[in-house]
Amino acid sequence: MNTPIYYQRGEYIETDTGNKVSRRAAISGPQNIILGGKTIISSNAIIRGDLRRTGPGHAVVISLGRYCLVGEGCIMRPPYKTYRGVFNYYPMKIGDNVHIGANSIVEAATIGNYVEIGKNCIIGKFVIIKDCAKIADDTIIPPNTVVPALTLFAGNPGQIVEDLPETMQEMVEAQTKQYYTRFQPYPN
Amino acid sequence: MSASIEYYCPCLAASPHPPPPHLASSSYSFHPLHNLYFCEECDAVRCNRCVLVEVSGYFCPNCLFEVPSASVRAEKNRCARNCFNCPICRNTLSVVASDPEGNEGRMSPIVSNTLGEPPFFLFCNNCRWDSAEIGITFEKPTGLAAQLQKFEDSAPDALEFEHLKEHFEPYLRASSSALPTTTAHSHHHVNPITAAASSALARDVPGVGKYNPLTRSRVGRDKNAGKQEIPDYNSRVEIGTLGALGAGGGDSDVEFMRRLEDMAEVAALEQRWVNSWTASLRSSDLKPLRIPLQVKKSKRCPACRHILIKPEQKSQSTRYKIKLVAANYLPAIHVSLPHAIAAMELMKRSPSLNKSLSSVVDDPSVTGLMPGKTYAFHLAFTNPLYDPIQVRLKKVQPKPMVNTDEDHDKPRRVPFQVSLPTAAIGIAAFAEAWEYEDDEEDMFGLEEDDLDMDAHGGTGKDGRGKTRTVGVIERRANTTVISGEVILTKEARGNVRFNMLVSYTYRSDDPEPPEENEDGTPSRSHAAPKAPEMKNFSFYTVVDLGPVVRREESRSEYDA
Ligand SMILES: [Zn+2]
Ligand SMILES: [Zn+2]
Ligand SMILES: [Zn+2]
Ligand SMILES: [Zn+2]
Repeated sequence: MNTPIYYQRGEYIETDTGNKVSRRAAISGPQNIILGGKTIISSNAIIRGDLRRTGPGHAVVISLGRYCLVGEGCIMRPPYKTYRGVFNYYPMKIGDNVHIGANSIVEAATIGNYVEIGKNCIIGKFVIIKDCAKIADDTIIPPNTVVPALTLFAGNPGQIVEDLPETMQEMVEAQTKQYYTRFQPYPN
Repeated sequence: MSASIEYYCPCLAASPHPPPPHLASSSYSFHPLHNLYFCEECDAVRCNRCVLVEVSGYFCPNCLFEVPSASVRAEKNRCARNCFNCPICRNTLSVVASDPEGNEGRMSPIVSNTLGEPPFFLFCNNCRWDSAEIGITFEKPTGLAAQLQKFEDSAPDALEFEHLKEHFEPYLRASSSALPTTTAHSHHHVNPITAAASSALARDVPGVGKYNPLTRSRVGRDKNAGKQEIPDYNSRVEIGTLGALGAGGGDSDVEFMRRLEDMAEVAALEQRWVNSWTASLRSSDLKPLRIPLQVKKSKRCPACRHILIKPEQKSQSTRYKIKLVAANYLPAIHVSLPHAIAAMELMKRSPSLNKSLSSVVDDPSVTGLMPGKTYAFHLAFTNPLYDPIQVRLKKVQPKPMVNTDEDHDKPRRVPFQVSLPTAAIGIAAFAEAWEYEDDEEDMFGLEEDDLDMDAHGGTGKDGRGKTRTVGVIERRANTTVISGEVILTKEARGNVRFNMLVSYTYRSDDPEPPEENEDGTPSRSHAAPKAPEMKNFSFYTVVDLGPVVRREESRSEYDA
């Protein structure tokens, strides 16, 4: 329950707000990415903050809240579409206490708070995932799908499998905070 | 990790004691703590099998519109807005225009729906099905559900159902006053929806009640009411002509199968069984489906009917007006196997194995249990109450394994022996901001429970040369970790599962429930003026320490 998850001390950069970002993660356009604090970006993750909306000025492309985890080898890429003949990227917003399992690809528009996404998932463009939802390992969520609060999605294409317990928020909150505490440099 | 613990809800059993864990059926009585409820009125654990469920609101899982219950019936429990499932793969369909931009959209499935030129059609961006293939197109991109529902409502099966309802309506009205409307009290193990459906069936269709254990006694009583004469029902459609109406069956299916070129031409059972009648076999006959509504549920205690769960009205709110969950009353227990953790640590430290860490976790030869060996296991108890509690544990010794399905030849010995601390275990109160490191002092001043040796535990050595200890090994904040021990016989196999009775005493604030105590600090001081009333609560659990791993080399080692 409290066993540490060790990493090599030099591998992660820790920010003032407690974010831990792997040196082996590929972060493009970091000025367009917001991390809420105590969020972990694992090694070999790819985050495409460079895919921003055309036009002048500063734009937030991807924002993540507190106590999030972007697993090893994940790809986070903002959604895009052609609207009235004009191609554009649209921002991706992710709430607090969201864990994304290893090797998942995420192109969602919004992901709420207390959401668990399993390993090897594909979350399509403009998908909306509401609070306390859960996506099972190996699930494919096609573009534009809406995942309601407190439901478990699984399969290809992902569909509602069951309602999640009323205690989902407390469970995910405890688990994501615990994960952050356990994630620590290997003592030498 | 393979070790786990689940909590018992006695609703399925006649006795308060749990079924032995080696019975497969016992799993229906045990649940993760977070799935259980707690009724303060009855002072009892409740589970999703026994609570009474009521619909507190309907919503569409796609557009998230909250549907007033008045419209739910007219709209037949499906979304009346622009939400449809693909009949082939069940993905959500998009509305697509047929002008060039629409076609561009079909290549990359993201298009804006409300632009473009008619006709419009429904398109699946997952399997590429579109409704134009089956001749369904629309002049406007709005109000599609109403148009589709018109088709649905005029289908022969829907008309037949309406006809049936009309036929029984006068009888229903006449008999509804004569019969009681609920049977939920008479049989508390039955879900009220099932009970209501059964009683409705018994009420609506004469003769059914006779075969229904739920309503049998009552129908006997109401014999005269049930005797009411109803004229024979004449169906709208002759059964023999169904094939001609495209409902499948008969020669047309044979002919269709004979010319079959591709399996996908046949609709899978899963794609067909939403229909109330036998449907056509052809996947080309499948229609887009209006998305079924979901519900938010309220839950009540089956015994006293007090509300345990009451969600907020808004469909996507995850908050509750009432939420009485067992996790706020019972200590949470976490099981771990130190030998498995140590083995995994070792793996993690050797860099060559770093990549395959996830496979190591699942490898039973690393984390599993070997026959004939002795293992320690840890139970971490976390107290959710604002007052300290004292926990006592009692194992329910596993029965000898006899006459199971696989081996009925020889009587077997008890496959393993479990030792648990016998003394009371103090667990500090929960506080909002627990300062770690600040928990050295023991709230209850219990000394005797630290490292008490179980009768046959003693200070002997286990297979790995470590001292065997049974007792408290760690306290931090509102968590106390104890160590137990399991001795496996050479014959042990399957999963090491045993029932454990957990009893805890807590300070009762009656009539106030303990967690409504405003005072977040451990309450010894404010309890001082009058002696606190101590209460006791017990619950059963099943502890699963994971599978016994039988390996050839280990067997020969013992044979030698
Ligand atoms: Zn129950
Ligand atoms: Zn809808
Ligand atoms: Zn489809
Ligand atoms: Zn009750």
